[in-house]
Amino acid sequence: MPEVELPIGPQHPALKEPVSFRVLVDGERIVRLDLDVSYNHRGVEKGAEGREFPKALYLIERICGICSHAHATNFAKGVEALMGVTVPPRGQWIRTLVAELERLHSHLLWLGVLAHEIGYNTLFMYTWRDRETIQDLLEEISGNRVNYGMNRLGGVRRDVSDDLRSRALEGLRGLADRAGFYSRIIREEQTLLVRTRGVGRLPRDRAIALGAVGPTARGSGVDFDVRRDDPYVAYGDVPLHVMTSSASDVFGRLEVRVREIEESVRLCTHLLENLPSGDIAAKAPRVAPQGAYVSRYEAPRGELVHYIRTNGTDKADRVSVRTPTLANWLSVVEAIQGRVIADIPVVVAAIDPCLSCTSRTTFVDTGTGDRSAMEWDDLVAYGIRYYREREGLP
Amino acid sequence: MSALVLALYLFVFPGFLFLLGFAWFAEWWDRKLLARLQHRVGPPFLQPFADFVKLLSKENVVTEGVSARLQAALPLVAFAAVATAFLYVPLLGASPFGAPGDLVLVLYLLTLPTILLFVLGWTSRNVFARIGAVRAASQLFVYEVPFFLACLGPALAAETWAVADVVNAQASGLWTFLLQPLGFAVAIVALQAKLERTPFDIPEAETELVAGPLTEITGRKLAIWNLARDIALVTGAALLVALYLGGPTVPGVALEGLAGAAIGFGAFFVKTLLVLAVLAAIRAAVGRIRIDQLVTWGWAVLTPLALAQIAIAIVLRGVGWP
Amino acid sequence: MTKEQREPPERPGVLLPEMARHLFGRPATQRYPAERIPVPKGFRGRIEVSDEHCIGCSKCALVCPTDCIEMVSDERDVAMGARTVHRKKKPIVHLMSCIRCGLCEEACPTDPKAIYLTEAFGGAYERKDVVVG
Repeated sequence: MPEVELPIGPQHPALKEPVSFRVLVDGERIVRLDLDVSYNHRGVEKGAEGREFPKALYLIERICGICSHAHATNFAKGVEALMGVTVPPRGQWIRTLVAELERLHSHLLWLGVLAHEIGYNTLFMYTWRDRETIQDLLEEISGNRVNYGMNRLGGVRRDVSDDLRSRALEGLRGLADRAGFYSRIIREEQTLLVRTRGVGRLPRDRAIALGAVGPTARGSGVDFDVRRDDPYVAYGDVPLHVMTSSASDVFGRLEVRVREIEESVRLCTHLLENLPSGDIAAKAPRVAPQGAYVSRYEAPRGELVHYIRTNGTDKADRVSVRTPTLANWLSVVEAIQGRVIADIPVVVAAIDPCLSCTSRTTFVDTGTGDRSAMEWDDLVAYGIRYYREREGLP
Repeated sequence: MSALVLALYLFVFPGFLFLLGFAWFAEWWDRKLLARLQHRVGPPFLQPFADFVKLLSKENVVTEGVSARLQAALPLVAFAAVATAFLYVPLLGASPFGAPGDLVLVLYLLTLPTILLFVLGWTSRNVFARIGAVRAASQLFVYEVPFFLACLGPALAAETWAVADVVNAQASGLWTFLLQPLGFAVAIVALQAKLERTPFDIPEAETELVAGPLTEITGRKLAIWNLARDIALVTGAALLVALYLGGPTVPGVALEGLAGAAIGFGAFFVKTLLVLAVLAAIRAAVGRIRIDQLVTWGWAVLTPLALAQIAIAIVLRGVGWP
Repeated sequence: MTKEQREPPERPGVLLPEMARHLFGRPATQRYPAERIPVPKGFRGRIEVSDEHCIGCSKCALVCPTDCIEMVSDERDVAMGARTVHRKKKPIVHLMSCIRCGLCEEACPTDPKAIYLTEAFGGAYERKDVVVG
């Protein structure tokens, strides 16, 4: 059979969000993969520029549903740093608690999605059923299953009562058993192992060169975690173990995430048992002084970076978001080389792609290094010209 | 048999109407078991029938450049093939259509749908359908040999090519699966691959190929195809029941007259449900493997096991046992 | 060899024991809407406006991140503590834009709150319910 182009996306049952892969295949073997990620671009960065900080916080939170607390906390702590506001310890610890619970629910969700991509729907159902424990817990703490709205500038909005603490600890105990169970399953289930071992190889040096972050990089032996290497909120005060794997393939990423599930359960238990007393929030001013800050956070998918520039008003001057998924896409293109069609959903799912977190548009002239941005009218004209040429219209 | 009874057998019971009901019931049984194993509720009893009716009401879309007649005819031919195959499986006693050598006919008719699936996918002008069709054809070569061998085993033991005679040879209660357990296991796995169910649903891998060869099939055509798939499920299970589990016989019970026929049918029904339950459990228990892994495993494990079982069966026959 | 040293064999169907347990048990599914879903205290449900307590200060509309609160003219005398306030406007909420953050409830100065999140599970089921207040 001659080479054919397989269009995976923007709409495809394998994808939870729109992304476009144009895969050139020879039989089953992949010859080339072209990537196009900007389908979920919503102009959030621009929207954050025109809104006061408390409102922008809620907008930034909704960049992503699964890692919403990551975006909100990252933005909040960046603005607090610029304003010179110190969050009291109880507020920091509650932020950390919700952050780790979010990591738990995100990793369990991912485990189910990976199982579904392989056709292993039973594991998908079981992991999502166990994830409900965390969702109920988050609902009790914050009132919502996603987009928790826990943050305000200066701390958190809701407190954790003692009654809630004891119930949460009980739920976490059950979850610890399940996490151990899944850890055993992934090492023993043969159909899962044959689909993930040796698939999507990403050697350590390539992972670093391509800028991979999070479990994608840690699955290739890169020992980097923002929580340990650049501590924020309460991570400096709690015992944290960073999980890595030397497998450097999809199984390595799977292993890292499952062990992170176990570690997060331990962390949440520690946080709940040792929650300090005191206020949950400090008063934040309305205006932020002139300055710029790079705020980093270990989201479930990897290192999340917010660049915030303020100019003495009550709105941000510029907010730039570099999400972990954006950093991980190149590793997909590399890891899929030489594999077959059946490996595409597995390798793509292994980086835990969150397309809502991805879309950026910047124009860089690689020859001169000049960065530029287009005005809206120019962009519209360019788009019309581009598609006319591509479709062969006059 | 009089023409009227033959017509009733063909169109009402256990022919066309009964087969429709049985196929939908089997699909419900399979989906319900799958759901309960996954800790879910599962569909209500009339769901497969409702799906069929819903699909019949959908718009018939034909891609430009594809022969509409061909695309409409293929599901019908597949349906006809598997429905005809079901007629030769003994339900109450011997089928009135039974003839010496009808096992070969049944196996041939059951192979037809996969070939038709290949043609359907290939002529669909859709890249997903084309790749799915090629996978279906590759898979055909892998499982067909073990499946035929596994069906050969009981025929060897009973020294006949007629399904009804294989059933009668087991009437004493010494069912074939007790003598040839390896063959039974190979038959179950090969049937799962034949029906293209997990872990062998590679041609229609939803997360890779949208719907495989069936990507462009909509409305009435898809309804008929799903019906053909359900009938294939029932026919395959019924065939295994006839060859390995003694068909509609109950050990020690003489099946005479109407009461005997009813008991025989009840036994057959229960045994078929058991086989379907095993197939559903396999579907729930594992994930999908890749086509290259299937080819390797099929030729390295499945076919040698089937051949080994045949060898053992021949030796046993040689020493005159049982 | 102790149990910890022996690596369990790779085999298909590792989940079979758990599957067998669930086959005869109760499904994990919450059968909504046949069964009521219990919501925890503090659940962010549908927003409500209390006509008799609102003094028309517009703080909720100013603080709303999605600008879904619109102040409309509605004159009324409202009791606030020991005083009586003559309000000129009151808020209406467009449910389709409300993100249920609760900032309006926090900003509201009255006691009891004139705008608040309830624990009602549903949203709007008819067109007329899409605007609250």
